[in-house]
Amino acid sequence: MVRRNLFAALPLAILLASPAATGARAADPIKIGVDTPITGTYAPIGQQVRWGLDLATKEVNAAGGIMGWQIQLIYEDEEANASVAVQKADKLFQVDKVDFLTGTVNSGSTLAVGQLAERAGKLIATTVSFADSITGDKCSPNVFRVNARAEQQSAALAAWLAKDKPNAKVYSLGPDYEMGRSTVAAFQKGVKERGGTNLGEVFAPLDSKDYTQYFGQIRAARPQVLYTSVAGNDTVRLLTQMQDFGLLNNMLIVGASGTVTSQNITAMGSAADGFVTGVGYSPQIDTPENKKFVEAFRAEFNTDPDLFAADSYGLIYFYKAAVEKAGSTETDKVRTAMRGLEWPTPQGTKTMRAGDHQAVQKMYVVRVDKGKFNIIGEVPGDQAIGPVTCTRW
Amino acid sequence: MLDYLQFVLAPQMVTGLSLGVAVVLVALGLTIIFGLLDIINMSHGEFYAVGAYLALSLGALGINFWLLLLLVPALMIPIGFAVERGLIQRVFNSPDRHVATLLLTFGLGIVLEDVLSLIYGPNTQRPSTPIRGAVEIFGIMLPNYRLFLIVFGLLIVAAVALVVYRTRLGAMVRAAAYDRNMAASLGVPVKAVFAGAFAFGIALAGLAGVLLAPIYSVFPTMGRDFILLAFTVVIVGGMGSIVGAVAAGLGLTQIQAISSLYISPVWSDPIVFGILVVVLMLRPQGLFGRLGRA
Repeated sequence: MVRRNLFAALPLAILLASPAATGARAADPIKIGVDTPITGTYAPIGQQVRWGLDLATKEVNAAGGIMGWQIQLIYEDEEANASVAVQKADKLFQVDKVDFLTGTVNSGSTLAVGQLAERAGKLIATTVSFADSITGDKCSPNVFRVNARAEQQSAALAAWLAKDKPNAKVYSLGPDYEMGRSTVAAFQKGVKERGGTNLGEVFAPLDSKDYTQYFGQIRAARPQVLYTSVAGNDTVRLLTQMQDFGLLNNMLIVGASGTVTSQNITAMGSAADGFVTGVGYSPQIDTPENKKFVEAFRAEFNTDPDLFAADSYGLIYFYKAAVEKAGSTETDKVRTAMRGLEWPTPQGTKTMRAGDHQAVQKMYVVRVDKGKFNIIGEVPGDQAIGPVTCTRW
Repeated sequence: MLDYLQFVLAPQMVTGLSLGVAVVLVALGLTIIFGLLDIINMSHGEFYAVGAYLALSLGALGINFWLLLLLVPALMIPIGFAVERGLIQRVFNSPDRHVATLLLTFGLGIVLEDVLSLIYGPNTQRPSTPIRGAVEIFGIMLPNYRLFLIVFGLLIVAAVALVVYRTRLGAMVRAAAYDRNMAASLGVPVKAVFAGAFAFGIALAGLAGVLLAPIYSVFPTMGRDFILLAFTVVIVGGMGSIVGAVAAGLGLTQIQAISSLYISPVWSDPIVFGILVVVLMLRPQGLFGRLGRA
């Protein structure tokens, strides 16, 4: 990334020398709307999103901005609720006149805000949402995803599971909305393809206070492995309650990458130990880019980044690279520039696939050991990504 | 078959019981405030959250959990007293008492929730469990703390019932609630009794917060989790009836627990609120309530 910044500074110097070259755009900052949960069960996720965006924005602005324009982030609270997310996005588009929008966490919010963006003629990107449909059958020319989707995660996890516990009997518990259904379906498909058995699944509403009522069906099924894709505060309650009632004793818990993160792990203590997930990021990734990112993040926020912070951090560099390639912030030009774009992130180079606007990246299998996210396996990006299913362009 | 009973049905009923006691604990204060005093306290859940946060803060100062069980309710009493005197009394005698108290306490709840979020931040915090480990009864794993909660919770309920039904103080509260003018003319200090009973209800909400925080974690919106179920318990059990609240609380949670073995647990809320509708239609006074009696 250090080298990239040097290269980025070169055309910048030329541009600064001739302000007329920046075209129609005035000296106003580039406004990026951030429609992310600041309250509610996904508040811990929104927090990491904000930290990631803030850090990258600070770095980019300090290095001269994007083609001389400073970046300004404008925050709104989507409450992990699609209808709130749409209202706030509308405000960001119409009142604040943002150039670009990101931050949505709830997959339902991302889909809904994506439809709004199409009508408003703006581009959005999610750095968090998992549901395959966002870059699959419900894809949109105005929506990009820079993080790994459910299928990428489950491909990595299912491959590891087939090796470590062949022919496992799996039960699944997901949150009852787009993301939960999508992640469970993707993982069940992965398990079945590799010779495992799916015993069944159950879906709990977002923000469930007590998961003990779900234990009956889990006990009755007697699985060896439980897959879960709950996230945020829900994971804290699910795993600690399972630990209290002795369900963790003879069961391997695996799950989505957002289930156990730096942000909620302290509230769970030992209940998260042994949890395995397929994920696009771990603070333990041993590359100079990541070490630099983790150090800067710790210095700024006094905690470790998780996948959401890393992907949100990378998003600012994605947008920067796209605007620089397009030479403009106009929607059509930036969209064309984003398609097929390769850009640097803490977890290595990512490629934005042109066919469905889904980022391709290396996937990791990560196990939680005493609060640390240790990498126990890797899957190359092209093997985890799966075919393009988007047919809209 | 026996295997199913032991490993599936029995644990499910026991977890249902522990949820039931939790619900009864939250509903207990509401039975007094809503059932006896006739104040629709929509902020009851937020007072439960305040209790949990007080326990968290004081616990961080190094105060022992067992002391908190006394200290937090004691701190909640002046808060409850001030709310009743400063806010509730201003609208209590208006012709639209129900609407006015509902809106007032609803607003108060929103303010409290945001204040908690401003002070403590939106993230979930989990106090450590004061009693660790678990016991195995006939092969059923039961966390020691849940066992303690079930026993202690039922003791609290019994003690409150004793105070309300068997003491002179309880008789004064019931008299003041039933006919405040008559009670006042007989020398009952009605204003103090009302404020005191309200504060007692708030203290119980705070106590529930201390007791349930280690299980359900502490976060600013935690009050929303139990409030609708608590209202349902009070209405189904019969307004102001402590026996009714216990029966309804334990009964409804058993229905939830057992039904969720056979159908998706997502249905447990529609089932409970469906029962509420049926009870309101067929027996509006509730299972243990008598119409015309506060």
